[in-house]
Amino acid sequence: MLKEELETTAFLARIDIKDEEKEKYLKDINSMFEYIEILQEPNVATLKPTTHVTELRNVWREDIVKPCPRETIDQMLNGAPEREGTFYKIKKVIEAQ
Amino acid sequence: MIRAKELRTKICSQELKSVDVVKECFSCIKEVDPKVKAFLKLNETNALQQACQVDKKENKKGGLLEGIPIAIKDNIMVKGESMTSASKYLENYVSPYDATVIEKLKEAGAIFVGRTNMDEFAMGGSTETSAYQKTTNPWNIECIPGGSSGGSAAVVSAGMVPFALGSDTGGSIRQPAGFCGIVGYKPSYGLISRYGACALASSFDQIGTFTKNVMDAALLTSVIAGKDYRDPVCQPNEWIDYTNGLNAPDVLKTLKIGIPKQLFDYKTDPEITKYFNEAVNKLKMENVEIVEVNIPAYKYVPALYKVIMCAEVSANIATFDGIRYGYRSPKSVSLNDQYAKSRGESLGYEVKKRILFGTYVLGAKNYHRCYHQAQKVRTLLIDQIAQAYKQCDFIFTPATLQMPVKLGETLPEECDIFLIAANLAGLPGITVPCSFTANSMPMGVHFMGARFSDAKLFAVANAFEKIADFDIDKYPTI
Repeated sequence: MLKEELETTAFLARIDIKDEEKEKYLKDINSMFEYIEILQEPNVATLKPTTHVTELRNVWREDIVKPCPRETIDQMLNGAPEREGTFYKIKKVIEAQ
Repeated sequence: MIRAKELRTKICSQELKSVDVVKECFSCIKEVDPKVKAFLKLNETNALQQACQVDKKENKKGGLLEGIPIAIKDNIMVKGESMTSASKYLENYVSPYDATVIEKLKEAGAIFVGRTNMDEFAMGGSTETSAYQKTTNPWNIECIPGGSSGGSAAVVSAGMVPFALGSDTGGSIRQPAGFCGIVGYKPSYGLISRYGACALASSFDQIGTFTKNVMDAALLTSVIAGKDYRDPVCQPNEWIDYTNGLNAPDVLKTLKIGIPKQLFDYKTDPEITKYFNEAVNKLKMENVEIVEVNIPAYKYVPALYKVIMCAEVSANIATFDGIRYGYRSPKSVSLNDQYAKSRGESLGYEVKKRILFGTYVLGAKNYHRCYHQAQKVRTLLIDQIAQAYKQCDFIFTPATLQMPVKLGETLPEECDIFLIAANLAGLPGITVPCSFTANSMPMGVHFMGARFSDAKLFAVANAFEKIADFDIDKYPTI
């Protein structure tokens, strides 16, 4: 991984990384690339990838609407860093022309 | 500290008062925890009130854990309490509801003493990536307790509480239990609901137990296991009492135990090898048949775990956007900038590194060669383990291949590969302490069973506990 690729990955992951830390990330992540190489070694062409380990298929539950207690809603809204009434407040998504 | 099962008997028969048990917990915590630093938060007033209520009840036989104190890892939600997952991101977070396991503990009458330290979002094997404090090993406070559930392991080991809950994604219960000389149990994937637990890697995560002995692990599991529609991978099994038949005679008589040939490929602490061999001999003396099993794919375990876990981390941590809860950077100028800065400023290095690597392996260009390939190799490992279970009932290894290192030092990567295999394949595993090494540190062994062999696993671990040379009534002097 090169510096540009690290920056692209960090943008995709929506993580700000400091310029002075980039070398350390590159060193650590590049050493993790060895894992990817190790996994190329066995011949697994005929095997299906594991998607999950449970024996369950199509887990259904009754389609019943259970009202959420007002208290829970308030507590969840109280956890928001910024809110207005019962809305979460965020930055403008669409820029003005 | 008396064990939970005995505490329950004594509280039921009114020989002991719950309030005295809870008081004893807090007096031990006040004496010991300043050196161990295992608790992030304590709940003394509430816990004492709860205990008083239990003592006032005429019939104390109500719940299975009536009046018994428990500690909870700080990544499991308790309504109205803070839950930080040892991260600055969740510093001010208050849980709006109870995790399923907490609901069940409340119904059973357990008393919540406090929240235990861990690696940030359970990412680590030493509890040192916690954003708040570093926990020490009660047997030697210069050493790590292991991780990620190091706080839960330390509080049980030091006798501050009779038992605790933790979570295990890649050995995070069983490795610290091994390092701290207690019993650590991770159930079969799907046995215990994860609803209300902070997700790390969802195809591996399980909640499990820290106890002094196997009986208490079975008791606690009986309370918290069971179907839950809110965790879709949770098995819809009927309720089982795991303590039932735990002391059945002759559990070991017809047993076949497999030891992986690959165990000898790794550098192992000579004392661990010595006491592990002694443990094997003790099993042989009980007429257990020991067979060698061959699982060549063990060598892919560290690589498999890192690639798949980081991929799942990058997806799970994406929910931390600084909008609905958690930390929001005050410095941002746009929405994207707000995500990036909120996460950049509040998450630790280890967490960010894993997200970045995970984002890379899931990238459109890399997905096939990295993540998809890893899931195929995971199938190879699962198939080989399934083959091994045709020759034996349980796979037996040391809990860890090395003893705990000093704080600040790095554990070798292959230290807990035999634990991580259980997460990759969704299998149950339990570490049981077996000996004290020459420098008076405990070490443990690990039994790994086939899927949903949890009840038998408890019985075998319980039988081993009785023949092992480990004095479970011995507590560290801190």
